[in-house]
Amino acid sequence: MPDRTRTPDDQVYHARPLPVVGPRQGPGLASLLPRPDPARPARSLYVHVPFCYHKCHYCDFYSIVDTRDRQAPFVDRLVSELEALAPWSLGAPLQTVFVGGGTPSLLTPPLWRRVLNALTRHFDLSQIRAGEFTVECNPETVTPELMATLAEGGVNRVSFGAQSFNRAHLKTLERWHDPENVPRAWALAEAVGIRRRSLDLIFAIPGQTLGDWDADLRTALDLRPEHVSCYALTFEPNTAMTARWARGEFARAPEDLEAAMFEHTLATLRGAGLDRYEVSNFARPGQESRHNLAYWRQEDWLAAGPAAAGHVRGLRWKNAPRLDDYLRTGERGFAPVVDVEAPEPRRNLVERLLTGLRLREGVDSAAVLCDAAALADGAEDRLARAAAGQSGLGLLDPSRGRWRLTDSGFLLADSVILALAEALDAARRGPVGSRQPEVPQHAAEFPGERA
Amino acid sequence: MPDQTPHVRNFSIIAHIDHGKSTLADRLLQATNAVSAREAREQILDSMDLERERGITIKASAVTVMHRHRPGSAADDFETEYEDAADESGHHTTRKGESPDEHGDLYMLNFIDTPGHVDFNYEVSRALKACEGAILVVDATQGVQAQTLVNAYLAINENLVIVPVINKIDLPSARPDDVAMEIEQTLGFPAEDCLLVSAKTGQGIRELLASICEKFPPPRPPVVTQLRGLIFDAVYDDYRGVIIYIRVFDGALKVGDKIRMMGTGRTFQVTDIGKMTPKPVRVPGVGPGETAYVCAAIRSLKDVRVGDTVTLDSDPAIEALTGYQPPRQMVFCDFYPATSEEGGGPGFEELRDAVEKLSLNDSSFTFLPVHSEALGFGFRCGFLGLLHMDIIQERLEREGGVEVVQTAPTVSYHVLCRGQGPFASTGGQALKPVEPSSPFYRDVPPASTLLEVHNPAELPDGSHIIEIREPMCTLEIMCPKDKIGDIMKLCLDRRGHYKSQSFVSETRDLLKFEIPLAEIIYDFFDKMKGLTSGYGTMDYEVVSYKPDDLVKLDILVNAEPVEALAVITHRHKAEQRGRGLIARLKEQIPRHQFEIPLQAAIGAKVIARETIKSVRKNVLAKCYGGDVSRKRKLLEKQKEGKKRMKSVGSVTIPQEAFMAVLDTGE
Ligand SMILES: Nc1nc2c(ncn2[C@@H]2O[C@H](COP(=O)(O)OP(=O)(O)OP(=O)(O)O)[C@@H](O)[C@H]2O)c(=O)[nH]1
Ligand code: SF4
Ligand SMILES: [Mg+2]
Repeated sequence: MPDRTRTPDDQVYHARPLPVVGPRQGPGLASLLPRPDPARPARSLYVHVPFCYHKCHYCDFYSIVDTRDRQAPFVDRLVSELEALAPWSLGAPLQTVFVGGGTPSLLTPPLWRRVLNALTRHFDLSQIRAGEFTVECNPETVTPELMATLAEGGVNRVSFGAQSFNRAHLKTLERWHDPENVPRAWALAEAVGIRRRSLDLIFAIPGQTLGDWDADLRTALDLRPEHVSCYALTFEPNTAMTARWARGEFARAPEDLEAAMFEHTLATLRGAGLDRYEVSNFARPGQESRHNLAYWRQEDWLAAGPAAAGHVRGLRWKNAPRLDDYLRTGERGFAPVVDVEAPEPRRNLVERLLTGLRLREGVDSAAVLCDAAALADGAEDRLARAAAGQSGLGLLDPSRGRWRLTDSGFLLADSVILALAEALDAARRGPVGSRQPEVPQHAAEFPGERA
Repeated sequence: MPDQTPHVRNFSIIAHIDHGKSTLADRLLQATNAVSAREAREQILDSMDLERERGITIKASAVTVMHRHRPGSAADDFETEYEDAADESGHHTTRKGESPDEHGDLYMLNFIDTPGHVDFNYEVSRALKACEGAILVVDATQGVQAQTLVNAYLAINENLVIVPVINKIDLPSARPDDVAMEIEQTLGFPAEDCLLVSAKTGQGIRELLASICEKFPPPRPPVVTQLRGLIFDAVYDDYRGVIIYIRVFDGALKVGDKIRMMGTGRTFQVTDIGKMTPKPVRVPGVGPGETAYVCAAIRSLKDVRVGDTVTLDSDPAIEALTGYQPPRQMVFCDFYPATSEEGGGPGFEELRDAVEKLSLNDSSFTFLPVHSEALGFGFRCGFLGLLHMDIIQERLEREGGVEVVQTAPTVSYHVLCRGQGPFASTGGQALKPVEPSSPFYRDVPPASTLLEVHNPAELPDGSHIIEIREPMCTLEIMCPKDKIGDIMKLCLDRRGHYKSQSFVSETRDLLKFEIPLAEIIYDFFDKMKGLTSGYGTMDYEVVSYKPDDLVKLDILVNAEPVEALAVITHRHKAEQRGRGLIARLKEQIPRHQFEIPLQAAIGAKVIARETIKSVRKNVLAKCYGGDVSRKRKLLEKQKEGKKRMKSVGSVTIPQEAFMAVLDTGE
C-alpha cells in the first residue's frame, strides 16, 4: 500500500480539538462546503480505509493496526458520511472512485458489500464501468472471495502495493508480505475480470543497488502491468524508519544513486511502453489513473473516511485523521472535517503550478500567466522571467503554449516549482523601485555626533 | 531636597568589565535610602532591556543621593537606619525622636555608574570630566585587569582622586591581599589604602561612604560668574525629547532660562531641571558643582553635541569648557533589508525608519545609505566596536521590527591617492577625503589626497593609489606568565609588533603590542581568551594609521564579483585568507540547480577556487493527490528558509555566508 504520508502538519490537525457541540447540532457539511455547481457537479470520490495489518516502518500515515472489532463502526460512519456527501454530485454519474488506505483489502467481504451497496444507493455508478473504480490492495490480503465481491460491486482497477520483490529490502521496509503473493494476487484479479492493474514500487531503499532496482523493475514488467508507480523512499519525520536511520542502523541511499535510479526507472519503463505521466507514475497510453489526474488537474472530488481530503470549487477540506475522532463525529451528528481552506486565487495558482508541473502535460502557460496578472502588478512579468530562467537551465520546456518539465527538470521538480512560486511571492511585496532611496554622491556628513 | 546646603561630591565608579560597578551602585543607593527595599532589584541602573539581558552596562547613568557623614569618622550610618522611605517628591522624613544632625553633615553625592566594556570606553571618559573623584573597583578574585588600568589612567589624567576598592571579598576564592599588592605594583596606590567591600553582602559599605565624603575633594569654586555647564551625556526619550545631563562648573541655571550651546550657537528654553535619585525628581535650579538633567524642548540628538558647554543666552560666558573628542567609529558594516528581491521597495523604507529611530537613542553609531550591486539598497553603519555592532543589530531587529542581512565588519582605511581628485570608487561612488583636522591626517605630500574608505568595494582604481593605510592600535594584554609565549605567537601571527612587558604580580604580566585593528576586531578576543583559559584580558586603542602591503581580495561567485564579500588583506595573507573564505562559502551557500564556481582573486589573478556541486535530485516522490495542502505547506517552509538570503545574479547567498569573510583561514 502506498504510504499516504502523514505530514508534520497533520500534527496540527490532531492538536486541533474537534468542535464540541450538543448531539445532532454540529455544523453539517452543508455549512462547510460551497454549494455544488450545477454546471460542474463533482464526478470523483475518494474513500479512505484506515486499517493496516501491520505498521510499515517508512509510513507516517495515521493508520491503525487492524483489530477486527473497529471495522463495523467504521463502515457505519462511512455509510452515513457517503450519504451526507451525495448531494454534491447532484445525481450526476460518478466517473472515478478510488478506495485507498491504509489497507482497503483488509475489510471483510461482508463489510465491503455494505460499502459497495451504500455507494450504489447514494451515488450514480451507472457509468463507472466505463470510468474508473480503483481499490488499493496489499498482495497478501487478496482472496478469491474479496476479488469477486469487488468485481461485482463495479471495481475495475486494482493497485497492488508490491514495493519490492527482494526479501531483504522488504524486511528493511518492514513489509511483511512474501513476494510470491504479488503474481498470485495479480492472477486472482484477472480471474474475476479486473484487467486494469497497477503496481507500487519503492526505490532508494537503504542497501539497495542499482542492479537490485533493475531486477525489481524487470520482475514487475514480467507481469505486463498497464500502470506502475515508483516512489523514492522518503524519510518522514516521526517514523520508525527515520528513527532507525538516526540511530545509525543504515545509511540512506546517496543522492547520486537515487538520481541514477530515478533516471533508470524512466529509461526501463519507457522502453517497455510505459511512459511517465507524473513524477512517480508510469502508464501505457490511455491507462493513466484518471482519478489521480483529477487531483492534479484541480478538478473537484468528494472525500470520505478519516484523513481523506476533498476539493470542491477551490475549497479544500480535510477529515479528522484519527479513527476515534472520526467515529465520534458520527455520534454528535456533524461533519468529520477538521480543516478547511477557503478558495483563494494566489493559493489556487500556486497549487496549480505545484501539481500541474509534476505532470508530463505540464500547465497551460497563457492561462497561468493570465491568472498571475490578475493577482498583482508585475506578477505576470516576474513569473514569465522565472520560467524563462528555468528554461534557460534546461529544466522547463516552454514550447507549444505549455510549460513542461524536461527529463532533467523532473529530477529537480521541487526547485523549479519553488522558483516559480517565489516569483509570485516577490510580486506580492509590491513593485520594485516604487520609492528608490537616494544614494548621496558625496558622503558629506554622517548624522549623529559630528554635527 | 533638604534646606541645609549640602557638601557636594561628584564621582564615577569605574572598573574592568563585570568587577561589580553596578552592584556596588545598588548598595550605595540602598544604604542611602534612595531606593526602598521594595523597588530594589539587581543592577537597578542598568535599565535597558539589553543591559539586563546581557548583564552588562552599556550606557553610563548619573544619579544623585543625599547622605550624612560625621567629618573625620571612618564609617557612616546608613540612612535606612533612621529615615523613612522617600515620598513622591524625593523627601525623606526622619523617624520619630531622631535628629538627622546626630548622623553628621549633609552630603549630596552625584555619581555615575560607567560601562566596563572597551567599546563603551568613551562613556567613561565623558563621565570622568564631570567628576572630582573615582571609585576604582577591582574584583578580589580576578585582580587587576586590562580595563582596570586603562580606566584608572583615564581618571589619573583627569587629575581625579581615586579610591581603590577591592570588591567581592565574600567569595571563597577572594585574595584581597594579593590584589592589593597588584594595585600597588601597577598603579602605585599603597596596598593598605584599598578598601575591602562586598557589593553583594554590603560589607565595607559604611567605610566606603565615609571615604567618599572624606577623600574626594569638593567641586572647585566657580571661576567666572556666567553659567558654564558641561554636557556629559544626552539621551532621547519618546515623550520628552532629548534630555541632556550637565555638570555645572560656574554660575547657576533655573527653569525658564534660555540656554545657548556654545559650540553650535543654538538656543533652547529650559522646561525642566531635575536629578535622578534614581527616580527623576524636579528641582527649581542648579548651582556650581552640581549635576542635573535638563529638558529644553530639544527634538533631536543631532541638535546636541555631548561635550559642548551650556551657557545663558542673556549673559553668555566667554570661553567654553574643554569638551570631548567625539567617539570615533572604528568598525563598519552594511545592513540590508532581508528580503530576497533586488532593489528598494518596502523593505528599505522600513529599515530606514528603524535606523533613524535608533540613531535618536544612540548617537554613537553612524549611518549612510549605500547601494550594492548584489544586495540592493541598505546602510553602511559605523560602530565603536564589535559589541556595539551586535547591540545595534539586535536593537534594529527587536525595536525596529526589521530583519536585516548584515555584511562582515571591516575597519576604515585611509587611501593615499595621486592628484587632487575628486575620486570615485570603481563602482562610481564619490569618495570622501579625510578631514585635515583629523588626528590621523598625516604625511600627505603635495599633489596627493588622503581618502577615507569604509569598505573594500569603495577602493578607487588601483592606478590612483599610492598606498593603503590601516588603523593601528596599541594593544595591552594582561595574561598569566606561563601563557606569554602563546600570546606572543598569536600577536606576531596577526602582524603585531611587540613593544614591552611589565610586571603585575608573581603570576601575571602586562604585554604591549602595536597591531593592526583589522587583525583584532573579530576572533582575536576569543582566541586570546582560549589561549589563556579565560584569564587573559585586553584593551586596545587606535593610535595611528600606517601603510602596509595591503591588497583587495575579490570573491567571484558564479564568475561575478560580489563586493560584499571582498576583503582588504595583507598580500602575504591573501592566499590563506582566500582559501579559507571560499571554503567557508562552499559550506554555506546551498547547492543550486547548477554548478557554482567560487574564486578568490587579486586583480585578474585567481589565487583559490572551489566548486559547489549542483543538486542532483530534488523532487518529492509523492504528491498524494488528495492532500495538496500538505505539499504546499512544505513549499511555504522552503520559501521561509530562503528569506534571510540575498540573490546575487542567479545565486542565493544566506546571511551567514557574508560572515565567511571573517574567516582568517588559520
Ligand atoms: N559574590 C559577589 N558577586 C558580586 C559582587 N559584586 C558584583 N557581583 C556579581 O558580579 C557580576 C557583575 O556585576 P555587575 O555589577 O554587573 O558588574 P559591572 O562592573 O557593573 O559590569 P559591566 O557594567 O558590564 O562592566 C554580577 O553577577 C554580580 O552579581 C560581590 O561583592 N560579591
Ligand atoms: S500498509 Fe503500510 S504503508 Fe500502507 S498505510 Fe498501512 S502502514 Fe502505511
Ligand atoms: Mg555595570
